[in-house]
Amino acid sequence: MRNVLSAIAILAGLLFPIRLAAQAGPDFRKAQEEAVQTLQSLVRIDTSNPPGNESKVAEYLKSILDKEGISSEIIAMEPGRGNLIARIKGNGKKKPLLLMGHEDVVGVERDKWTIDPFAATIKDGYVYGRGALDDKSGVTANFEVFRLINRLKVPLDRDIVFLAEAGEEGGPPVGINFLIEKHWPKIECEFAVNEGGDTFIKNGKVQYVAVATTEKIPDGMRLVAHGTSGHGSMPRLDNAIVHLAAAVAKLGEYQPPMRLNETTRAFFTRLAKVSPPDEAFLFTHLEDSVVGPMAQETLRHTNVMYNSMLRTSISPNIIKGGFRSNVIPADAEVTLDIRALPDEDMEKFVAELRRVINDPAIEIVRGGRDRPSPPPPPLTSEMFRAFEKAQAAVFPDAVTLPEMVTGATDSAQLRAKGVEAYGVGSPTSEEDNNRMHGNDERLQIEGLGKFVEYLYRAVVDVAAAR
Amino acid sequence: MLRNALLGAIAIGLLLTPPLFSQASKEPAPDFNKAREETVQTLQSLVRIDTSNPPGNETKVAEFLKSVLDKEGIASEIVAMEPARGNLIARIKGNGKKKPLLIMGHEDVVPVERDKWTVEPFAGLIKDGYLYGRGSRDDKSCVAAMLQVFLMIRRQKLALDRDIIFLAEASEETGGPAGIGYVVEKHWPKIEAEFALNEGGGTHIRDGKVDYVGVQTAEKTPRGIKLLAHGFSGHGSVPRMDNPVIHLAAALDKVGNYQPPLRLNETTRVFFQRLAKVSPPDEAFIFSHLEDPAMGPIVQETLRRSKNRTLLMYNSMLRTSISPNVIKGGFKENVIPAEAEALLDVRLAPGDDREQVMAELRRIIADPSVEVLPHDWAGMPVSPVARLDSEMYRAIEKAQAAVFPAAITLPQMGTGATDSALIRSKGVQSYGVGVPATDQDAEGTHGNDERVSTEAMGQFVEFLYRAVTDVAAAH
Repeated sequence: MRNVLSAIAILAGLLFPIRLAAQAGPDFRKAQEEAVQTLQSLVRIDTSNPPGNESKVAEYLKSILDKEGISSEIIAMEPGRGNLIARIKGNGKKKPLLLMGHEDVVGVERDKWTIDPFAATIKDGYVYGRGALDDKSGVTANFEVFRLINRLKVPLDRDIVFLAEAGEEGGPPVGINFLIEKHWPKIECEFAVNEGGDTFIKNGKVQYVAVATTEKIPDGMRLVAHGTSGHGSMPRLDNAIVHLAAAVAKLGEYQPPMRLNETTRAFFTRLAKVSPPDEAFLFTHLEDSVVGPMAQETLRHTNVMYNSMLRTSISPNIIKGGFRSNVIPADAEVTLDIRALPDEDMEKFVAELRRVINDPAIEIVRGGRDRPSPPPPPLTSEMFRAFEKAQAAVFPDAVTLPEMVTGATDSAQLRAKGVEAYGVGSPTSEEDNNRMHGNDERLQIEGLGKFVEYLYRAVVDVAAAR
Repeated sequence: MLRNALLGAIAIGLLLTPPLFSQASKEPAPDFNKAREETVQTLQSLVRIDTSNPPGNETKVAEFLKSVLDKEGIASEIVAMEPARGNLIARIKGNGKKKPLLIMGHEDVVPVERDKWTVEPFAGLIKDGYLYGRGSRDDKSCVAAMLQVFLMIRRQKLALDRDIIFLAEASEETGGPAGIGYVVEKHWPKIEAEFALNEGGGTHIRDGKVDYVGVQTAEKTPRGIKLLAHGFSGHGSVPRMDNPVIHLAAALDKVGNYQPPLRLNETTRVFFQRLAKVSPPDEAFIFSHLEDPAMGPIVQETLRRSKNRTLLMYNSMLRTSISPNVIKGGFKENVIPAEAEALLDVRLAPGDDREQVMAELRRIIADPSVEVLPHDWAGMPVSPVARLDSEMYRAIEKAQAAVFPAAITLPQMGTGATDSALIRSKGVQSYGVGVPATDQDAEGTHGNDERVSTEAMGQFVEFLYRAVTDVAAAH
């Protein structure tokens, strides 16, 4: 098996230069160098949100576009929170393609980093820093592809719009919501390419290219336990903290039922084809009436990400109650991070939670969905096929998997506007992914180069004049 | 049957009362009606001084008391570790035949949740026979009553075999070092005594009548425990089995259902035996069958499941108690935190120790990701037990027979912590007393709409006056 794979790899390697030369395509080596420089510059601009200060990134990008002769515009709902928009015109035969990424990053716990988070240090083939992956890698790759197409004067059937947006990581709606509401014609498109996918490196090689086509819906809620206040020297059975704890313990044991949809079913079926036999067995037997429950339980323990793709998930993330160690508080509460399957009936789900908790002292306070839930595009769409072809060219040993993102991205808002939005990502290992929103965030340089090439191929495929 | 026995007890009480009164009438008889009025006025003034702790500001109370004492010609002294945290000490000299008697109370109060009160907590409002306000019971009722007794003895120029020391102390509610700890450490000779009367007892009203006078002779020892759960931080969209919030919750679920073993001692055994004699049949059955091999577990569980505050207090008197009172973990709704913790309020029954409770909790929780750690209260000494055969205890029983003849005196083990623990550990026989209160009145302590019956305040002053003069007057 391994021999066959390496033979294919060698063949592919031999074929590449010929094909590239024939097309007079870009120099992807130089493109990688340029992209790394852009990424370093972006990481060095601290756009921790809050407060954001994304205009600094927008202005930096604008200054480069100015030099390249591409006009661009910075649009801001609040001072300092600039979104940058630029466009390369096509012949208008087809509707535009949007390349988007976000400028802001989450804050750092400075004392837990082993290197300066805003220095963009290069070490052992990685760029280190906050945003190196999320999402300045996305902004960088989109930007590089945008510049390459402009320089090579690729004739286009559709406009390509570049967007670097503010306020993705939280806070007031200064980013995508503001743009959709106030400046929709400037970003309106048929396809969008955004963060959210996962080009996954396993044992040093890209195993699969997961392209996000849909995502779960965040739906926070709180459990509030009510009891009777009293003095801590006289314990009470209606202690709100004890009741809350019992409820959280039950939810910790409880697994909402598994329900695959077209996207996740295709994901696991294709994933099985590039997985070692024992894992492949799990992925192909999730719905098996006999071994299914066992396969699911194994995933629950061994792969929390895949487990979250199987079902609506519940994670109790904030718990609080009481103010003094000797006073029994009258109430206590926990905040549940719930990620619903796109078709989840939340009324029924909450009723089920109530049944599982089975305690009248516990009140369920719903937070309400804040994101729309449109159906995913078909896997036969032009854009998805372009991604599959790009993967075959750049990552020939891998497969393309349609993915349902467990987190939330700004693609949801675009999808609600009828856009086919896809999530992609620069190649990362599990180790790299664990650093996202964490410490010592990093991006593999070689992977970034590949990612630029992959994106270029997909974008040109779908946008170039035929 | 029981009711008849009760009536018999009341009859005996009535028979016994006249001689006591005739003995007291040798002295110039105090006017207890006037005393009640004066005490209620003092209590109003005290409630109107906001000494919520933190920050305390007890010096304002100390200065008020000093001005009252000045007018009566009694010298007093304010000693303070910090300027705003004054403790007031005054003394009426006796002939020195016996060692002094200390009468004490604390000046500070716990804060209020203002929006949950239906009356202004610092107005000292009197309505329907009750004085309302934070501290009206805990503990300004004691400070006012002790001061009143102190003033009466002074005015009557009673001859004393022992000095009487009046102490109004700061910082009781947070156990900070500015109160009894400071006075004991830096000014011990000023309060050194053989006996002390302090807060901590419960004079209990049932159906409009005092049925027992609880005298606190022992108390449980507070020793906090912290549960600290460790996991791995992550994104909330990808739940983890090692989420520390879940592990902590599972641990608390177990701890909340755990009952430490029954531990009766001399004080609590006598308490429940005597309590049974003045209780309705169903409760009497509970109190007299706590150690019954067959019925014991059932009656214990009945107490535990009660919603009545007094019965819950009895439940806590049976054993080391554990109450999870604070829980916290997490900072952002979409981030799984790396840690979560809970604080357990543990009150050790005499004979139990914290290490042993922690070991038991570890066994029950049985989860290596949850640490069981000691938490605060390290400085609080284990309280020795005050004697039941002392001159002071007998004087209290006699005062009860005179003022509450239908009741009985019960030795009590306090479930909470008082400053008696510290002075008992210095060798003082300290007894906790309290103003008569119904179960409903008792709810106001540390709660909302705290109140005290003005009639009960009058009875409390008379009761205290009798006990103090009995033990301190020259014979």
